[in-house]
Amino acid sequence: MSENPHQTYDARILEVKDLTPREKLFTLRFLDPEIGEHFTFKPGQFVIVDIRGFGEFPISLCSSPTRKGYIQLCIRKAGRMTKFIHQMKEGEVVGIRGPYGNGFPMEKMEGSNLLLVAGGLGMAPLRSVLWYAIDTGKYEHVWLLYGTKAYEDILFRDEIIHLLKHGDAVGCSVKLAYEVESPSCIYLERGFFDRVCKGVVTDLFRGEEFDVDKAYALICGPPVMYRFVIKELLDRKLSPGRIYMTLERRMRCGIGKCGHCIVGTSTSIKYVCKDGPVFTYWDALSTRGLI
Amino acid sequence: MRYVKLSSENFSSFFESLRNWGKVYAPIKRGSIYTFQEVHELGEIELNYTRTMLPPKKFFVRPRDEILRLKNGRWENGTDAEPIVLFGLHSCDMHGLKILDKVYLDEPADPYYKARREKTFIVGISCMPDEYCFCKSLGTHFAMDGFDLFLHELPDGWLVRIGSVRGHEVVWENGELFEEVTDEDLKHFKEFEERRANAFQKEIPQEGLADMLDLAYNSPVWKEYAEICLACGNCNMVCPTCRCYEVCDNWISAYDAVRERRYDSCFMENHGLVAGGHNFRPTRLDRFRHRYYCKSYFDPSSGYNCVGCGRCDEFCPAKIEHVKVLEEVRGSLR
Ligand SMILES: Cc1cc2nc3c(=O)[nH]c(=O)nc-3n(C[C@H](O)[C@H](O)[C@H](O)COP(=O)(O)OP(=O)(O)OC[C@H]3O[C@@H](n4cnc5c(N)ncnc54)[C@H](O)[C@@H]3O)c2cc1C
Ligand code: SF4
Ligand code: SF4
Ligand code: FES
Repeated sequence: MSENPHQTYDARILEVKDLTPREKLFTLRFLDPEIGEHFTFKPGQFVIVDIRGFGEFPISLCSSPTRKGYIQLCIRKAGRMTKFIHQMKEGEVVGIRGPYGNGFPMEKMEGSNLLLVAGGLGMAPLRSVLWYAIDTGKYEHVWLLYGTKAYEDILFRDEIIHLLKHGDAVGCSVKLAYEVESPSCIYLERGFFDRVCKGVVTDLFRGEEFDVDKAYALICGPPVMYRFVIKELLDRKLSPGRIYMTLERRMRCGIGKCGHCIVGTSTSIKYVCKDGPVFTYWDALSTRGLI
Repeated sequence: MRYVKLSSENFSSFFESLRNWGKVYAPIKRGSIYTFQEVHELGEIELNYTRTMLPPKKFFVRPRDEILRLKNGRWENGTDAEPIVLFGLHSCDMHGLKILDKVYLDEPADPYYKARREKTFIVGISCMPDEYCFCKSLGTHFAMDGFDLFLHELPDGWLVRIGSVRGHEVVWENGELFEEVTDEDLKHFKEFEERRANAFQKEIPQEGLADMLDLAYNSPVWKEYAEICLACGNCNMVCPTCRCYEVCDNWISAYDAVRERRYDSCFMENHGLVAGGHNFRPTRLDRFRHRYYCKSYFDPSSGYNCVGCGRCDEFCPAKIEHVKVLEEVRGSLR
């Protein structure tokens, strides 16, 4: 029985990098070069990480499929398993299966403006979109609105600051909202007074005009964020079919078997793991409990 | 479909012949309940059983199931599927298996389920409904496929429907046990089916059910029942179409571990719990409602996720009745 979807593939941890006190970036490469070669994915898809003998957990791919030879996972220390992987070192091996889920419809959106709205850890899957868009150059313009708690919590801080400075040259404008004041934030705000502000992610919409006819919004953040962000988008007359969001649910199998990620009612049942994790706002309007 | 007749005097020889296929599992009575167990002779079987407590899903999706074994740091896998005969399945349970097939055989197929399913020979048997059954109103009271052989009781034997090539082969190999079906047999078959159709006491009115339930999302009826419900999850365990599972790694020695899955229930508080303590179905009301929505979801290719077997009613310690809940929720819209 070779084709067992539960079987995972060995991947070596090439690098572990502290992003914040809670999140680390793991760069992995498959031991089997053939698997590494064939492993392709779409931004928005996720993998299941397997720590043999201890358990499995789902994590979004935060690198871009345009950058081959490795994958990256940004993992927050949230509980038992994630704490375990946080203690692992470069050179150690974990299991990976996937990629799973539908991912963002990158091809369909080619030629359009992308409005990425990230809250906290939601930056992880959107980073994949961001790099994909920059690397392929197939999108008109990319905005990234990123809401974070404090300066220390900014994920991929170096990359974000780099894009604040030089993003426009590659068609990418970044805006940042922070909640907790600190000298570093004030410094940032002085440098980029029209791009960085104190507040929540929806404050970044203020004064911004988006060409809704040519735009898609891609949202990822904590459950509470969606309602507020979507309101801003609807106020700007963005169609529910052009608003994409990626959702989190408890997941065990990732392949539509274990039932944990099921949402909906008698008229519409969806599996977040295989019908999602990317859904449109229209899906949310027609499937109760999605957001 | 091909039809043959098995006379009463050949019944035990037929049963013996099935043992060439593999171990035979059939309903037996244990205390006040019926259960599918291995049987060695016909006399052990309760042919007139109503419903077993655990449905035949237990042979394909086991209550506890080892899926991987860690040896020298790598997962090893293999199925332990062996040929078995499931003797005496009711039509609703076959429909239940078809719904599970949709989940487990859909790509990527579950290799454990698939191997067990392929090695199982299924013999159906006709039944009479009791006060809990409502399969007729869901169209699951008659199986057109999903079996190898189906036995319909006649006054002097059985009318056998042959549902697969394997079924045909078993009949062919034991040709001397079977006869052609007569007009008399057909008359009895029809009479039995009519009598059975009239014996149902419960039904689900399907008209607009899915929409009505959805519209009644905020009905107070959900709340009333959620307060009576003990959240024991019995209804999930006994349901032939419930198949949520949890996965757990266990060490058996310092070097070897196993990855096991076991039945899970959407009534359990941690079913929708994610890291950081966020729960997507935090209250019992959320969880109670979720089960009903999941069961009443209508898939155009496989129907509802409920086959009307009545197990959840019979084994609910709070005496909650599935059809009654749905009717009251629907009724509360008016
Ligand atoms: C599609 C998807 C993408 C994700 N992407 C990321 C990411 O990029 N970065 C990141 O840090 N986190 C991500 N998560 C969340 C991550 O899966 C959980 O934080 C992780 O499973 C927590 O496991 P734990 O054992 O450390 O936590 P505990 O709190 O100890 O978890 C308790 C149990 O619940 C399970 N569990 C908890 N949360 C989840 C969950 N959301 N899904 C499935 N099982 C869960 C765990 O496996 C564990 O067995 C994602 C989740 C999903 C569903
Ligand atoms: S069996 Fe009855 S009491 Fe137990 S969870 Fe189901 S509905 Fe509730
Ligand atoms: S919901 Fe109840 S009646 Fe329907 S299939 Fe499940 S156990 Fe049987
Ligand atoms: S994670 Fe198992 S069904 Fe979606």
